[in-house]
Amino acid sequence: MNNTVLELENISYKYKNDLILNKINLKINSGEKIALLGKSGSGKTTLISLLNGTIKPTQGEVKLFNESFEELDRKQKSKITTIWQDLRLIEDLSAEQNVNCGLLAENNFYFAFKNLLNISSFKKAHKYMKLCRLHNSIYDKKIRKLSGGQKQRVAIARSLIQESNILLADEPFNNLDPKLITTIKNLLLENVDKNKTKKSPKTALVALHRLDLLNDFDKVIGIRDGKIFFNIKRNNLKKIHLEKIY
Amino acid sequence: MNKLKLNYTSLSFLPILVCIPLGYQLINNIHFGGFKLFQEFLISAFNPKIDNEIIITVIKRLNETILIGFFSWLVSIIFGAIFGIISSNIFYKIFNIPNFFYRIVRFFLTIIRSIHEVVWGILLMQIYGINFSIGIIAICIPYIAVNSKVFAEQLEIIDYKSFESINQINAPKFSSLLTLIWNPIINTFKNFGLYRLECSIRSTVILGLFGIGGIGTSIFLSFQTLNFRELWTYLWSLAILIIISGLIFKKIKFNTTNKILSIFFISVFFITILFSFSYFLYFIFNNNFENFNSVSSLFKSSSNLGLFDFLKLILETIILSLLSTGIAISLPPLVIGIFNNNTSKIFIKIFAFLLRLIPTPVILLTLLTFNNPSVSLAALTLGLHNAGITSKLLFTNLDSQDKRNYIAMKSLGISKKTSWLLGLFSQQAKSYLAYCAYRSDIIIRETTIVGVIGSVGLGWQLQESLSSFAWQEVILVLIAYSSIAIVGELINGKIKNSLT
Ligand SMILES: Nc1ncnc2c1ncn2[C@@H]1O[C@H](COP(=O)(O)OP(=O)(O)OP(=O)(O)O)[C@@H](O)[C@H]1O
Ligand SMILES: [Mg+2]
Repeated sequence: MNNTVLELENISYKYKNDLILNKINLKINSGEKIALLGKSGSGKTTLISLLNGTIKPTQGEVKLFNESFEELDRKQKSKITTIWQDLRLIEDLSAEQNVNCGLLAENNFYFAFKNLLNISSFKKAHKYMKLCRLHNSIYDKKIRKLSGGQKQRVAIARSLIQESNILLADEPFNNLDPKLITTIKNLLLENVDKNKTKKSPKTALVALHRLDLLNDFDKVIGIRDGKIFFNIKRNNLKKIHLEKIY
Repeated sequence: MNKLKLNYTSLSFLPILVCIPLGYQLINNIHFGGFKLFQEFLISAFNPKIDNEIIITVIKRLNETILIGFFSWLVSIIFGAIFGIISSNIFYKIFNIPNFFYRIVRFFLTIIRSIHEVVWGILLMQIYGINFSIGIIAICIPYIAVNSKVFAEQLEIIDYKSFESINQINAPKFSSLLTLIWNPIINTFKNFGLYRLECSIRSTVILGLFGIGGIGTSIFLSFQTLNFRELWTYLWSLAILIIISGLIFKKIKFNTTNKILSIFFISVFFITILFSFSYFLYFIFNNNFENFNSVSSLFKSSSNLGLFDFLKLILETIILSLLSTGIAISLPPLVIGIFNNNTSKIFIKIFAFLLRLIPTPVILLTLLTFNNPSVSLAALTLGLHNAGITSKLLFTNLDSQDKRNYIAMKSLGISKKTSWLLGLFSQQAKSYLAYCAYRSDIIIRETTIVGVIGSVGLGWQLQESLSSFAWQEVILVLIAYSSIAIVGELINGKIKNSLT
């Protein structure tokens, strides 16, 4: 039962004269946990930006639930959530306000207003921040005053609070200590497990450099020079695969 | 690198060369007829008139000034923010509006702010007669456009990536917009609000000199009757008003986490908008256009202005702007650098405060007591007043700067002045020049005020044409004015960009 949620059809991406991604074909099935490997500058972030629709391919088509990305409405697009490599938090807002930004899509204008004025208790935000091991004392702190690992977790909480079907994460373990890495990894991937039995399965694509974390994924994609070099089950991953992409 | 820094430094001093032609003309124009008056003016500063009668007048007049100043500030800052938002990039990106509209809105605002509030004031007074609300409207028109530029500039530096991340979540557009602009708007208000309040009080005073009411009118009348002691009572009370309003503004905490305060600010925001709109409608439907019967009067009026005279006026205005800008740029670092000790510093600060406090027309009228009217005199006035403003900025920046270089250089035996120049000022020169570029935008607009009083340039012509209801001439002068201001703004924008 291979239920494709995201699909790249013959995608190329050019930036000025550089061909950054070259004729990529990729299918992501519902419920899959995929690790995206590749050395620095190989195009992982670019691939993720294509998948969430932030950038448009020079050639080819991105499909979400078998429909072209352009034709989807707001609600459907918001089924994808992204943890950005560069976090993309709003520096002047507090940690809590940033986490609430994840909820803007499903709420009305009044919610955005309340969030900025801080005149309500945001239980859901607190729940997700606690899950990410962010404590009360941090809620009201501005992003620019947080440590690197704290910022990272705020970005993760903002993404998880959307409770989306599809998670795209770009090196989400940056800046985290070993204990936190385990916590966050479980948080990101367990969601996927838990929901596997349900009707709306969750899917995760995680770009990462830490090979010791691969055990928790069931598929591995390796890219090199803007091309997909391998796309295999994790059990089939051999040393030689890794040697070729790094 | 060092060479480059030295270049900005020398560029800050070079414009002082304008003093050569300026001084030449001033010396040629000197007369000793009013020297006694000038002396009296200075002495009266230490001996202002204080009695019951004048105190009552001061309070009454100050009330009017505060009323006009405060309301025009409130309206112009709120609408400035709104126009700032709709003239900022982020608005067009979020709502996917073609860039074409962005350009149109910006151009429209540029034209509106290219004309000084005094011009709007004289114009509106001529059409509607003298009226309290004319003062507020005259200030609000250009101020909304100026404030919108300040807000828009702060909105332009919103990180594009945070826009992308919010955009990717696909939130409703108004929610995204509000979330992104919230802090830049509040911070701009915090950082520029007080300064803009000071500006609108000053503008109220200047419009007062032209008869709109408030303390400015009293200042003008006491000057006209040569009542210098009374004049200084008004000036000092104005100083107290500006200082107190600064203290109050700094005390107010714009804390958005306080529920009651937030609700208060939001109601002020909406009430102001509602009130302005209803007043606007009332104004349009309820005014009889006394002198401006119909558009046809515009075409009936003829223009006696010869092309040659007109070009001469334009040239005069440009020269006036350049000369004043030169003084405003170079005088502060020169004076602060030469008199570099603690006692002089206090005197310079007081002098600069007075230059900011005394409205330019009054400075000009004082100088006229011993010098014949000329472009140079007008330029000196405008230059000095603006030097008061640039020196305030320079002082603030120098005081907050890291002084280690300066101390190290002094300990090496380098002279105090040289260490100041190379160790302290050289690091400020670039940002100082960038600020001066912005300042010269304002100087160009302010040439109107000294023009009207000092009978030079387009300002004077505007006054003449208006009082003879030569509307065609008025329009011509206005177009010339706003063209000069727009070109000036473009050039200054380029200079500022290359400096930052
Ligand atoms: N905005 C951009 N402008 C110009 N070039 C870009 C831009 N974004 C990415 N690139 C180029 O595209 C290529 C792929 O970049 P990408 O960020 O996708 O790599 P990555 O695999 O995510 O690397 P890393 O592991 O270091 O994050 C690089 O060569 C990079 O220089
Ligand atoms: Mg990357």
